[in-house]
Amino acid sequence: MLKNYISIMRGAALAALLMCGASLPAQTTASGVINGSLNNTSGIAIQFDSDPAGVTLGAAGTNAATANFGTVSAFGALAAGVTRPSVTAANFTVRTIFDVQVISGGLASTSYTLTANLAAAAPAGMNYKVDAVTLTTTAQTIQVNGAYNTDIAHNLDLVILTAAPGAGGPAVNTPITTTINFTATAN
Amino acid sequence: MLGCVLSLLAARAGAQTSSGQLSITMSVQSSITLIFQDNPSVGTTGFCPLTNAGTNNVGLDFGTAAFPGSFHTLACVNYTHLTSAIYQVSSAFDVVVTKSNSSSPNYRLAAQISTPPPANVSWLLNNVTLTTTGFTTLDTADNYATPITKTLQVQVKNSVPAQAFLETITFLATAN
Repeated sequence: MLKNYISIMRGAALAALLMCGASLPAQTTASGVINGSLNNTSGIAIQFDSDPAGVTLGAAGTNAATANFGTVSAFGALAAGVTRPSVTAANFTVRTIFDVQVISGGLASTSYTLTANLAAAAPAGMNYKVDAVTLTTTAQTIQVNGAYNTDIAHNLDLVILTAAPGAGGPAVNTPITTTINFTATAN
Repeated sequence: MLGCVLSLLAARAGAQTSSGQLSITMSVQSSITLIFQDNPSVGTTGFCPLTNAGTNNVGLDFGTAAFPGSFHTLACVNYTHLTSAIYQVSSAFDVVVTKSNSSSPNYRLAAQISTPPPANVSWLLNNVTLTTTGFTTLDTADNYATPITKTLQVQVKNSVPAQAFLETITFLATAN
């Protein structure tokens, strides 16, 4: 009789344990991780932007833009955005304004130096200036303290001799194309 | 006499049996699990491949990037300039939560980052900024066994010095 009683009590205890187990909180969460990585590097990038007072650049906003002066002469009409600040017996100058923006990132540098050079020797009868600095195939300093991340206007002058073709003057009625290389260096 | 002995042997042979019972007890518990998967668009812009995809511990590398020139090294990274001084890289992946022995209709999804990022650097999921101070709720009722696409974003101001950012983003799915 006692054995039966003990057996019943054990059974009851087991049942109670099972019931307790059934009411334990279930695992209702799950987790996972993503290990993200990014290498933030530093650098600068130059781009040419159209200036409101100058010709509209082709491919503005890039580092390989074009500026078309159209047809120029000492006395005739000029394209929009082109001015003629001087005419002398020896030469005349046509000018446009373009913007340079140097964008920086991840740098302690607060300014940059801008240099420019002609990609090839100037055509006969032509001289090129940026902000009054005459360009050659050797890099010339244009600006030493350019501010980052803002458009900075520069004058681009074409100084054209008035001499006739073959006598020191430029070819006429022929497109003259010149490439100017600009380099910005972080200070 | 012989018959008596045989009868006794027969009786003893018949007694060589034994029986027993093994009582099995167990408790089944509801559970859910979470894994990360590559999105079906993996490899295209905005969908970089995960390392160790299909598990709950994966890697997502954005490569190298810089503000100037929209520079970035991985074609799969979606690179944008958010403002004149902030760039963002992002990539999407899928989260799959599976349930077992559960009547839960759906789950909540939250996430947090492990380390405070440097100043002017933010980690986000679907445009929700993550913090180290607690789990930020991303969704309140996601369906089980269904890929949920999430986009991890890193936003960096151009004044931030060059350095590597490493961040562990912990996702927490909780059954509703």
